[in-house]
Amino acid sequence: MNTEHLDTDEQRAFRLKAREWMAGRMPPRDPQEEPCDLGDGDQIAKDRRSQRILWDGGLAGITVPAAYGGQGLDKRFEDIFLEEAEPYRLPWVFGNAFNIVLPDLLAHGSEHLKTLYIPAMLRGEHMWCQLLSEPSGGSDLFGLLTRAEKRGDKWVINGSKVWTSGGHFCDYGICLARTDPAVPKHQGLTMFIVDMRAPGVTINPIQLVRGGSHFCQEFFDDVEIPEDHVVGEVNGGWTVAQTHLAQERISMARGWHIGLRTPAKAETIEVQTSYLDTARQLGLEKDRHARVLIGEAIAIDAVYAMTTARVGKGIRSGALPPTSGALSSLMAANTAVRRTALLSELVGPAGVAVLPGEEEPVIGMDRVCTHRIGGGTTEMQRNIISERHLELPREPSLDRNLPFNQLKHNSSAMAKS
Amino acid sequence: MDVGLTEDQIALQETTRRFLEEQSPIGALRRLADKDESFDPAVWRQGAELGWVGLFVPEDHGGFSEGFQGVVDAAIVAEELGRVVFSGPFHAVATVAFAVAQAGSDAQKAALLPALVSGDAIAAWCLSGTGAQSGVEPGGLAVTTRGDDHVIDGIAGYVQDAAIAQHLLVTARSDAGLSQFLIPTDTPGVTILPLELVDLGRRLAHVRFEDVVIGAEALVGEAGAAAAQVERQLQVAVALQCAETVGVVDRALEFTLDYVKQRYAFGRPIGGFQALKHRLADHVTQLEGAKAAAAYAAKAIQDESPDAAIAVSVAKSQCGKWGTEIVRDCLHMHGGIGMTWEHDIHFYLRRAVSNEALWGTPAAHHERLCALAGL
Repeated sequence: MNTEHLDTDEQRAFRLKAREWMAGRMPPRDPQEEPCDLGDGDQIAKDRRSQRILWDGGLAGITVPAAYGGQGLDKRFEDIFLEEAEPYRLPWVFGNAFNIVLPDLLAHGSEHLKTLYIPAMLRGEHMWCQLLSEPSGGSDLFGLLTRAEKRGDKWVINGSKVWTSGGHFCDYGICLARTDPAVPKHQGLTMFIVDMRAPGVTINPIQLVRGGSHFCQEFFDDVEIPEDHVVGEVNGGWTVAQTHLAQERISMARGWHIGLRTPAKAETIEVQTSYLDTARQLGLEKDRHARVLIGEAIAIDAVYAMTTARVGKGIRSGALPPTSGALSSLMAANTAVRRTALLSELVGPAGVAVLPGEEEPVIGMDRVCTHRIGGGTTEMQRNIISERHLELPREPSLDRNLPFNQLKHNSSAMAKS
Repeated sequence: MDVGLTEDQIALQETTRRFLEEQSPIGALRRLADKDESFDPAVWRQGAELGWVGLFVPEDHGGFSEGFQGVVDAAIVAEELGRVVFSGPFHAVATVAFAVAQAGSDAQKAALLPALVSGDAIAAWCLSGTGAQSGVEPGGLAVTTRGDDHVIDGIAGYVQDAAIAQHLLVTARSDAGLSQFLIPTDTPGVTILPLELVDLGRRLAHVRFEDVVIGAEALVGEAGAAAAQVERQLQVAVALQCAETVGVVDRALEFTLDYVKQRYAFGRPIGGFQALKHRLADHVTQLEGAKAAAAYAAKAIQDESPDAAIAVSVAKSQCGKWGTEIVRDCLHMHGGIGMTWEHDIHFYLRRAVSNEALWGTPAAHHERLCALAGL
């Protein structure tokens, strides 16, 4: 939806500047394009170029203060930019940088770190990753084991991080590590900036069930970090992580890759015609059971779209509390899982086996691969909804007040340390 | 309801809620049920006086809405009625008032609408037969012509409020297509067969038509050309039912949340156990979906959006399935007390289960969605 009619003179001038600059310079958007594989180096090179075009045109970091290379404008200008950018393919490989690292730095970073990293980020020079989850646990983030010790004027990191999107293409990572194991777990953490090409960093891509490998695992062996590369306070990592996680949730609700934004949605229900085509191909168009399954698939898709729209609108207007965002998130997961069940039941064996040379049996593999683990498991979503949205009692915790080094950990983790 | 209500709509919601809490709280249904009655005519008349039916009736006939303008407001009322499992004939009367205001003759409008708006008259709609597709498509009644008259035969199934109605809106099929008629309930040849119900605040009946002869003046709209009008009525009926279900579930979940926060076992409130709180998280999520879908459907009808028909079946899929599932689990979370007559929750579950089955089951609406999508 174009809101040009609401523009002030200043906003109008910005809009025209953006329109003129992007025309002919930015690559066009392809609505059919699949979500980006962060394992694709060519894609990353293209996105770096696009981001540089935006920077050169004064369109990078619209709400970022001018002191750090941004435009220092308010949110309205960002919306105008996005409206004008509708025909173009915006870069999407900088999701971590813009959605998470930038707000972390703005809220907690020293002047030195802000001037060192933010302008380069806006020029598209650096790819960032976040180094939070560890092999020993993901949901219990603050139980992480990676250690950072002070040696002279350096911090030295040892440990391992995992589920890092595009880790092998990243220049820098924002890394949460344990700096004091003798205090309770939330109190002994510090957030660092790590040079991913520093000596001692080993990055291994992880092969997933479906073969893709844009996630990585990193090993840190005596990796040295300059003393001034701490974001926030030493042992104040939990506070930085709160900003970090809140920004992550907001960004996931809004759509992680701004470049992937679909055009302003028609405000009507969209029926997936592929369901109908599948029924016709299998000769099931008159079969009552098949029709009931397809009808439910149509219904759950529509309900999900309506719920997301409602929650977004309600949070913006204040009619719904901000915690409602988790409802969309949980419904996304539940809907995806239910959809795979309906489609598997519809197609039967054709979903799990195809002749060689055909595409992989997509419906069956969707059933294998559709889960909600990344970005907070459904169990964590349910905890957030029940504890924060419904105000039910919190889980009793055995680890909140004990020093971290007196807690029980995975037996494998214990054996290593 | 919608998250973007106007000030007037919020006022309507608050007035309705206050009236119902004072005049017809959930306890009113229990008192009626204990007396083996299902509704209180005096309370219904007061509710009608608040303008509930007038939402479908233009000003010249005592109401205050033209066309579809009252649908969202009526859904707001229906949701409030759900919160107290209201027992009056709102659904039936509103749907017939909508039909007559849309398609009735001037004489029919003048004769019936003011009395429906004031609560003095009650009307019911004979749409479907008694089969599994009852409530989602016309059937059961056939009409033929005899001279200038029309003759109706067959059985209309699960007709809401037929047993207390003075007027029947009748949808019947002939070779030419669908026709609708407005007739007095005591027309010769019409027999009301009241049913025994799960829902204690509602009345359903099969209505038998045996050689029922009626004149052309009873036609609502043109003979054989009522299909589009019937579809619109069906949309209104289903949308109001979905809004009511949302109210039922919303209230049941509210008092269940209160209960699990107060009830202690093993030294903790039972609402602190993930076995319960994860289910409650799923329930509030699906309820948000039901609210979104019910609000979308009412607005789509009111705006005459091209996707109104689909929206209505999407809403029924969500509200029908999860309405029952959520309230059933709420009863379960109450433990033993939930299984007693003394606790209110069974009234909510009775209404949710009935609403799932009436006006088309979710499965029937899933089939309808395929048809609407062109399969």
